[in-house]
Amino acid sequence: MSAPEILVDGRGLEPPEPMEWVLAALDEMRPGQRVRFLIHRQPYPLYDILRRYRYAYTVETRADGHFEILIAPP
Amino acid sequence: MIPAGLTLEQAPPFGVPLRFFLTAPPFLLLAAGLLLWQGPDVFASRWLPATLALTHLLTLGFMAQVMLGALLQMLPVVVGVVVPRPRLTAALIHIPLTLGALALAAAFLGGGPLWFQGGAGLLGLGFGVALLAIHLALWRAPVVGSTVVALRCALGALLVTVVLGLLLSGFFAWGWRLPVFELTQLHAAWGLVGWTVLLVTGVAYQVVPMFQITPPYPVWLSRGFAPLLAALLAAWSTFAPIGWRVAANWMGTALAVGAALFAGATLWLLSRRRRKIGDPTLNFWRASMVSLLVGAALWLLTPWIPALAQAPQVELLLGILSIFGFAVAVINGMLYKIVPFLAWFHLQAQLFQRVKVPNMKQLLPDVCVRRQWWSYLAALLLLLAAAIQPRLFTYPAALALGVTGGWLSLNLLRVCRMYDRVSRSGPSSVA
Repeated sequence: MSAPEILVDGRGLEPPEPMEWVLAALDEMRPGQRVRFLIHRQPYPLYDILRRYRYAYTVETRADGHFEILIAPP
Repeated sequence: MIPAGLTLEQAPPFGVPLRFFLTAPPFLLLAAGLLLWQGPDVFASRWLPATLALTHLLTLGFMAQVMLGALLQMLPVVVGVVVPRPRLTAALIHIPLTLGALALAAAFLGGGPLWFQGGAGLLGLGFGVALLAIHLALWRAPVVGSTVVALRCALGALLVTVVLGLLLSGFFAWGWRLPVFELTQLHAAWGLVGWTVLLVTGVAYQVVPMFQITPPYPVWLSRGFAPLLAALLAAWSTFAPIGWRVAANWMGTALAVGAALFAGATLWLLSRRRRKIGDPTLNFWRASMVSLLVGAALWLLTPWIPALAQAPQVELLLGILSIFGFAVAVINGMLYKIVPFLAWFHLQAQLFQRVKVPNMKQLLPDVCVRRQWWSYLAALLLLLAAAIQPRLFTYPAALALGVTGGWLSLNLLRVCRMYDRVSRSGPSSVA
């Protein structure tokens, strides 16, 4: 039984490591799972890939300035 | 709300910036060959034809080549404006710029007026297309931040540099009567302080905090800094030719202090990286900023120290520090970020979920960058030594320059070979 969420913490990593990690997590994601991605700046190129491959996602800005992106399978 | 930003459709094809990036390093090899051929005499004066040929192989062949290629890549990302017909625009800039740089070097090396005419025509065409395409994009920018302002100032300075350069080639090509000495001083100042320093500051505001994980530049240094530097340069250019020596000296001092402030602030930010793991491109940023700082200090000190004021080597040292130290170092370091990143980005866009795409460190391992860095540092130190002791250091400097240029080429080609291999291994969905 896999965890309902895969957490990817890309805060403070050098580009494009956060994107490399989150795309690897999307590859591993099982049906019913989601990916929670924490990042210190807006990951614009990621949004484009998510839209292109029809992932559902929400973006929230946290009080300390980082972004939290919750991604669900297409 | 879907945030705006870089989209795969907006990013130009990989080949657009890559043709510039792969053409630039061989110009370092050509410069090394010229140095070997001409020998220690190149360092006798900055006004010798061979020295001018060497300077333009570096500034046009290496620097302008990468700077324009990177701008074509960056504009859609940073400014959000697409350059129309990117492949055709890139070809119309890249081919005349490459041939024009070669023709101008040949002209200085004894080719005569015909070569100057050819060089001027080609460079006028290449820079003309670049200025038009990039200016149009920059003035249509939907969001105007400190980077866009700095890029506009840099592009304005490039326009002045190119016009002055074309006028100077008119002197050699068609025998126009011009104050060549004054125009050359202005041409060099607008090219190096205007176009190069302002472009690097505009790019640094974005990439230093992003890639080196540092705090952002202080607001007082980013907002209004580029227009202030451009205004000081314009004032210096007005006062110097009309003989207002005191006013021109003050403007020159303020410009050097401004450049030193930017270099000092960048070194300070780099010392406050939030990531403790070493990054091999950090060395290139540090070498670049130290060169700018030392160059500015040398410029400021020269009028006060009689031994320096009369030494012909000072101008050569300033040239080497600003061109090979400041500009070539930062460009060399940036190429190692840009080329593997774009290769990875385009592969990811084509092959996501179909083929496992190699990461940045697999495309270009740190060890390759570190080894080439030592050859770059050796070349810089030997070139500076050659300006002071030409007989002793010219040939070792030429060899080191050749090694570092060749090595940079091989490292970039390595990334491209891997890109081709992986790209062919999976179905392509993006042209």
